[in-house]
Amino acid sequence: MELFKFFGKGPGFWLLLISLVVLAIIATVLVRKSSKKDYTGRIIVPFIFIELAVFFGILALGFPVKGDEVGPAVVPLLWIVGILGLSIVLLFRALTKHEEVDPPWGKVSSVVIYIVMIILYLLFMQLIGYFLATALFLITGMYYLNYRNWKVMISMCVGWILFSYFAFYKLLYVPLPQGLIIESIFG
Amino acid sequence: MDLLSNLMEGFGYLVGYQPIIAIVAGVILGILAGAMPGLSPSMGVALLVPFTYNLSPQVALILLVSIYIAANYGGSITAVTINTPGTPSAVVTSFDGYPLTLKGKAGIGLGTSLVSSTVGGIIGTIILIFFSVPLARLAVKLHPAEYFALAIFGLTTVASLGGKNWPKAFLAAMLGLLINTIGIDPISGVKRFTFGTYRLFDGFALIPALIGLFALSEVFTRIEEYKLDKGKEAEFEKTQWPTFLDYWKLKFTIVKSSILGTLIGIFPGAGATIAAFLSYDLAKKSSKDPDSFGKGNPDGVAAAEAANSSSVGGALVPLLALGIPGSATTAVLVGALMIHDLVPGPLLFVERPDIIYSLFAALLIANIVMLVLGLFGARLWIKVTVIPKKVLLPAILAISIVGSFAVNYSFFDVGTCIAFGIAGWLLKKFGIPGAPIVLGMVLGKLAETNFRRAVIMGGYDVFFTRPVSLILLLLAILSFGVPLYQSHKATKKEKAAAAEAAEKK
Repeated sequence: MELFKFFGKGPGFWLLLISLVVLAIIATVLVRKSSKKDYTGRIIVPFIFIELAVFFGILALGFPVKGDEVGPAVVPLLWIVGILGLSIVLLFRALTKHEEVDPPWGKVSSVVIYIVMIILYLLFMQLIGYFLATALFLITGMYYLNYRNWKVMISMCVGWILFSYFAFYKLLYVPLPQGLIIESIFG
Repeated sequence: MDLLSNLMEGFGYLVGYQPIIAIVAGVILGILAGAMPGLSPSMGVALLVPFTYNLSPQVALILLVSIYIAANYGGSITAVTINTPGTPSAVVTSFDGYPLTLKGKAGIGLGTSLVSSTVGGIIGTIILIFFSVPLARLAVKLHPAEYFALAIFGLTTVASLGGKNWPKAFLAAMLGLLINTIGIDPISGVKRFTFGTYRLFDGFALIPALIGLFALSEVFTRIEEYKLDKGKEAEFEKTQWPTFLDYWKLKFTIVKSSILGTLIGIFPGAGATIAAFLSYDLAKKSSKDPDSFGKGNPDGVAAAEAANSSSVGGALVPLLALGIPGSATTAVLVGALMIHDLVPGPLLFVERPDIIYSLFAALLIANIVMLVLGLFGARLWIKVTVIPKKVLLPAILAISIVGSFAVNYSFFDVGTCIAFGIAGWLLKKFGIPGAPIVLGMVLGKLAETNFRRAVIMGGYDVFFTRPVSLILLLLAILSFGVPLYQSHKATKKEKAAAAEAAEKK
């Protein structure tokens, strides 16, 4: 029990997490170099689920027990066992090539750029406020997808901003971020 | 006879401009609240409660239940048009609604969802009017073991949702159940998987997770596949709407789903989402063409929508008959009733029958108003599908982000939405669906708390010694086993046919 508690927080937790990440990377490299490289995703996804089950399982076994018949760890462990079992089935199916080969990857770089854009949008929202940041995000987002009809782009931005102002800010009292810069200028 | 004369008096009360305005305004606001990802029916109702202080109790209640009804339908609009379910229960509507849109038949999806919601809502209300008292008594007599068995029965829908890919669908459901255990344990108070952050004490909010799994993952998939062509839009030039005959073909699905939806709605804690999943499963299993489900079968849309709308009538059963709120929205309604010095429960039927029967009448009228407004609105909603994808995708992202933020006014929820979006995109790529994750997250609390309560009250064998629990568990085994057996048989047949064809060559 003490061992499980060690992994529950502090250095033990980080050691466990980093070990599992490193293990996943090593497994990916090994599979890609093997004869099953066409099944890399099909093998690594259940492998990560097994790691996830181990990680959550170790944390659950460290939960305090107060002599209950069904303590706080019982139900999570039940689901963890399910995840473990099903992941092993999927892993076995992939290893024995009973699964289809990995689907082809499309423009992953575009998705990554879009995710970065969303994160920047959230950061800008804190600085220049929801309305300006949203206008900037919508214009950039459409431009990045090669849309060039500026009339539609601008009317879309204005329309959405007006809708969110009246629907969320005025009617529903959602405290949309004003932005640190705007607040410091206009008070 | 008393009931009918009271009901006629209830209708009489609605003759006047105030109740009618309340119904129309409630339906419009409800549709908007439902269609907006991030605003649930309960939030829509809660947000309008302060505006009802100065209204008479009848008008206030009429306004709030109209919102409740319409919000359940509103969720289907964005589910069908842009694969972004506005409410958790509309997740099920998107299974067949969105494929219809992809085929250029958004009109069929929208029309089916509207009519099924209306009929479902009316059937739910009729059951509420005639059977509320005995049904409510039955619901509260159920033991936690039976609620746990109901949750397990709900989980087995994954077997038919997943088809041949059932291990992946079950894995996704298990993941949803595990995610649901994150936060403070409701029974012992122990912090579970919170990683030292107080933001996880309540676990992950369902709505941002749902928006991420459906809307964001769909956007990421579109961007990755770069499917931004205009091919499908051209087909909307001649939008197809269902004919009367099309609706007539759905009659059995709608009636079955409405009855099941109302019954599930009665169980406190079950609600519209479980009702929609179970009805979809039932429709698929009883269909002559189960393989077409998930590929744009209007029966799938009808089952989900009839069930989630009829569950409103079900959820009102324990509230009105016993004063027990069975869902988040009915809990808000209790608050609204108390503001007007009304205590929900059996005494309300005796002391204020005017309130109860005008409410019943308003429920029926609100469904009709929803149909009329929905028919006009559908011409407008369908325009969403002709917006070029290059404009629509950034707009969906903006809606998703403000929708996630609006749940708790928290950037943590926005982060949750993005994380679930990325996970949903990657999992979908490898055939692991997002819907069972949502089902797991919805059923998790119902399953866990009742499992533990049942064991504390009667030990582990309580699930097999109580007849209702045993029957539900046996049904769960059947519901799980039959689709798997059928899928196994189909695979065997396919293999035999392939071998035969190879031999002939």
